[in-house]
Amino acid sequence: MTEEKKPEERKKRRTATEAAAKVASISRAMISDALRAREEGKKTAYTFIYCCYDEIVRTMDIVPIWTENFAGICGAKRDAQRFLERAEAQNLSRSLCTYALCGLGFDAWREEIGQMPPDAPWGGQPKPDMMLSSGQIICDPRSKWYQAAQHYMPDVPVYNIGLPIIPYEADYDYQEVAGYYVRYIVEQLRGLVEFLEKHTGRKMDWDRLSEVVYLGDRTWNMVIEAYELRRAIPCPMGTGDAMNTMVPLTFMMGTQQAYDFFKDLYDELQRKIANKEGVVLDEKYRLLWGGGLPAWFALTDFNYFESKGAVFPAETTYRLVEPIYRLDLPKVSDPIEHLAWRWVKWSTYWYDKARKRPGASPEVERLINYIEEYNIDGVVMHEAFSCRSWHVGLIWQLNQLKKIYRDIPTLILESDIIDINSYNEVDTRARIDAFIDTLESVKR
Amino acid sequence: MAEYFAGIDIGSTMTKVVIVNEAVVASVIVATGPEHRKLANRVMEEALAIAGLDFDKITYVVATGYGRINVPFADRQLTEISCHARGVSSLLPTVRTVIDIGGQDCKGIKLHNGQVVDFVMNDKCAAGTGRFLEVIAEGLGIRLEEMGELSLIAKNEVSISSTCTVFAEQEVVTKLAEGVPVANLVTGVHKAIAARIYGMVSRLKIEPDVAITGGGARNIGLVRALEPRLGYPTMIPDEPLLTGAIGAALLGKDAVRNASENNLPLARIRHPLQELTFFT
Amino acid sequence: MSKEATGGLATAEKYYQDYGARVRELKRQGKKIIGYLCAYVPLEIITAAGFMPFRIKGNVNEPITKADTQMETIVCPLVRSCFDLSLKGDYDFLNGLVIPHACDSICRTYDIWKYTLGLPYSHIINMPHGTDDSSLKFFKELLNTFRKSLGKFAGEEISDDSLAQTVKAYNDNRAKVRELLELRRLEPPQISGTEITKALVAAMSIPVEESISLLNSIIGEVKQKTGVPTKKSARIMVVGAQVDDAAFIKLIEDTGAWIVVDDLCPGTREYWSDVDVTDDPIDGLAERYLRKIKCGRTYREQKGTYAEYLEDRFGHIGQFVKDFRVDGVILYIYKYCDPFGFEVPTLKSYLQSLETPALYLEDQYSMPTIARLRTRIQAFLEMLG
Repeated sequence: MTEEKKPEERKKRRTATEAAAKVASISRAMISDALRAREEGKKTAYTFIYCCYDEIVRTMDIVPIWTENFAGICGAKRDAQRFLERAEAQNLSRSLCTYALCGLGFDAWREEIGQMPPDAPWGGQPKPDMMLSSGQIICDPRSKWYQAAQHYMPDVPVYNIGLPIIPYEADYDYQEVAGYYVRYIVEQLRGLVEFLEKHTGRKMDWDRLSEVVYLGDRTWNMVIEAYELRRAIPCPMGTGDAMNTMVPLTFMMGTQQAYDFFKDLYDELQRKIANKEGVVLDEKYRLLWGGGLPAWFALTDFNYFESKGAVFPAETTYRLVEPIYRLDLPKVSDPIEHLAWRWVKWSTYWYDKARKRPGASPEVERLINYIEEYNIDGVVMHEAFSCRSWHVGLIWQLNQLKKIYRDIPTLILESDIIDINSYNEVDTRARIDAFIDTLESVKR
Repeated sequence: MAEYFAGIDIGSTMTKVVIVNEAVVASVIVATGPEHRKLANRVMEEALAIAGLDFDKITYVVATGYGRINVPFADRQLTEISCHARGVSSLLPTVRTVIDIGGQDCKGIKLHNGQVVDFVMNDKCAAGTGRFLEVIAEGLGIRLEEMGELSLIAKNEVSISSTCTVFAEQEVVTKLAEGVPVANLVTGVHKAIAARIYGMVSRLKIEPDVAITGGGARNIGLVRALEPRLGYPTMIPDEPLLTGAIGAALLGKDAVRNASENNLPLARIRHPLQELTFFT
Repeated sequence: MSKEATGGLATAEKYYQDYGARVRELKRQGKKIIGYLCAYVPLEIITAAGFMPFRIKGNVNEPITKADTQMETIVCPLVRSCFDLSLKGDYDFLNGLVIPHACDSICRTYDIWKYTLGLPYSHIINMPHGTDDSSLKFFKELLNTFRKSLGKFAGEEISDDSLAQTVKAYNDNRAKVRELLELRRLEPPQISGTEITKALVAAMSIPVEESISLLNSIIGEVKQKTGVPTKKSARIMVVGAQVDDAAFIKLIEDTGAWIVVDDLCPGTREYWSDVDVTDDPIDGLAERYLRKIKCGRTYREQKGTYAEYLEDRFGHIGQFVKDFRVDGVILYIYKYCDPFGFEVPTLKSYLQSLETPALYLEDQYSMPTIARLRTRIQAFLEMLG
């Protein structure tokens, strides 16, 4: 009778927008670019998202290999286990970041056999010419992962860039220290440029960098202008789609393709709004994805929410930009300085507002603002067990939100970013059902 | 004059006693049960009866296993790692990798010239141990002992994606209700455990010859699932449950010989063979 | 006749068991107490401001309960235990909390600590990970921000003179600790790992001058001890993050080994290097805390070949193995620990290149999980022969 379905036969995930549907091929092309780079005489680098260096890397024609993306693909294809097992065989603890474990397991295997592991997802991840990690910013794996990878590739140089975020503190205001934070970041970025010049044998074209950064700025604007259209009722695009559209945002910043993508998305959303086309026919609940990276192997859970009439007009995850014109950036001619200020101003964006609300932290302030702007009925968060950077403090944020704002229904889902063993579909769906019941009773 | 040495291996599921001189002269295997402290001396007495010996004829007693601390009549206690290694290296001298699949834990041991050079243990998680199989067997309504043979008649393999015992049981029961043949499910379960065991053992550099010991070695289906992952054929001792106790006895023999050859004192902390009371 | 009834070791035992007893006394006398996590907080600055720095520690015998309502369980179990004890009132004498940007578990929980404990003062020293020149410069700015802020809370600027004094005091303390740790170089070691851990933990909770005299009296007492162990045991080194509870150390020693040296906090990591005396005391402090302390949390840039890089990162461990004639190394790493967890393969490989056997243990900082490590430790010791 019924036998086990092969993973490929699972139901394909529905996206609300055409833009989001395009992303799979964009993603695939990125992987192919990386695989072809060597024959095309281009240099490659392992890179992390949200590291302030996108435009710098693009300007120097270095092909970025986004290791988090590759791990996410393995997770989404439900083919991460064998790489996680390889990492464990190396004595890496399963409790560490599973992106890193997947990547390290893959790299160890590839280096051991001298070629891509068999049936590597989408052709696999090639050995890079250099690795660009970052310290201090959101997470420890960002400085430990590539250092650990070097053990399997001792001839590949690593540059670790310091990218601090100014803390939100009671005893001083961020403006008081912004000056020396910017100076530090500028020096670190300049050091990165020197490193890249050394390992590519080319000099940085500063004029071109200015252009690319300007394109990046305009893309920042375009992203939020498009996303803010999701305030409409009914909502034309949900977080499920945003987990796709994050691809050009985080992996292609500084390219014309990324800008065009969000321009097209903007136009598409405008059309949908004009036709009153929502993600679901009967929109009953509007939810905020308040934190946590998604379970990449279970994005169909968004369709499950939708089947209950619940949509996600907004999320904090991967919404890593704000319009430049809101950031109050000083006018500087040096693109590196501009990048540093952009970084500092973005990462402190919610501080002033949070100060005005007793008990608020910037994260909580952000949640409150989205709840009001997007007409939110409830907040959902996802606890991924292997990621301490994005997933610690979520319980606290929700508690604080209820304490200082209002007793809004909240739900915390639990699993992981790519380790499917941590996920129980039956349990997850049950929790979602219970949450929908709560939303319904609050409505009445 | 023949010298006798005894090894007692108190596992979480089974307690084994072996008496050796030049060869094994007696062996006993019984279920441990909850009262292992009281059981130890009874099992020892049973073995002595088979060998036709009094306890004071035993030169040295080594205890091992989960319950090794609670054997007052032992001269010394050593870990299962050392004991399994010694037992396997005497029974199968070419073995360099040992995989012991027990009731509640599993271990991997690397040997060079009969000496332990590396080891791994999994005693935190049921998946990959006999317990996993017990839970599944119950869920399927079959006996644990049937599982090996049953998997041999499977027509197709079924993939169990959960490696957590609790989730896997749910998955298996659900599939059974959907009509998936039991034999196919059992094969899938063996494959899942084999993956888990392999994951643990692969922390060691697996080198041939590879031996499997413990209760898991008696499950032909599990062995068949494990071999392709290991990449080597496996050797199984005739009595895979006894390697720990045999090794323990032999380590006792080694200790006595070493002490006499080098004129060293040998600590004997042995108490009389009597039932462990509350006050001992 | 055993000389253990009075003296240094007994005092250490007292302050170890009743952790915080001394600061409670100081608090009653009007002293303000600043709690801190991790060895990267410059205690010199806190003491120069007139406060008593107090190292927050956990307790492996106390199951974590209250912390779970606020803090996710994917956080390092040591940090969770510290927070749990704080919620249970063990540290209700604190006036403030200072943490460094040590690791995700400490940093990402800062908000939870801050808002839940509601202390009058809290500050995070946002230390960079890198050790290059611009990172050092940045770190000095951060230390000055901290100095200013703490001075404000104290009601008085922290002067260069008072800093120079505390720099000297803490250097003297470190030298005393090194003197104590030297006693394990001998064969057999003159003091056990258990006694060392208790002594160092006790020292963490008392003023620095009292720490120096406590350690002095322990050294004197130990040197006079008669009746050394006759049975030779394996000489073991323990490497890990923070081990502030003697349970694990005792387990190893009870299983039949001597712990002769460590790379732990508290342990050599915190005490092996001093602050240079500089015109601007901040310079010396920045140099020591960022560059001299060797910890997986800090990203050391590669200079030279990969082999030289490993030597830069782990050479101190190799040196200890040689100097203290170590037979085997135990890597004791907590679950959910990124800075140390990622280094295990590399460190194991480095130790292998020195032909030093290494045992990797993952633990969850609780008595039940520690007890379960016994078989592995014993098997390792049996393997060492």
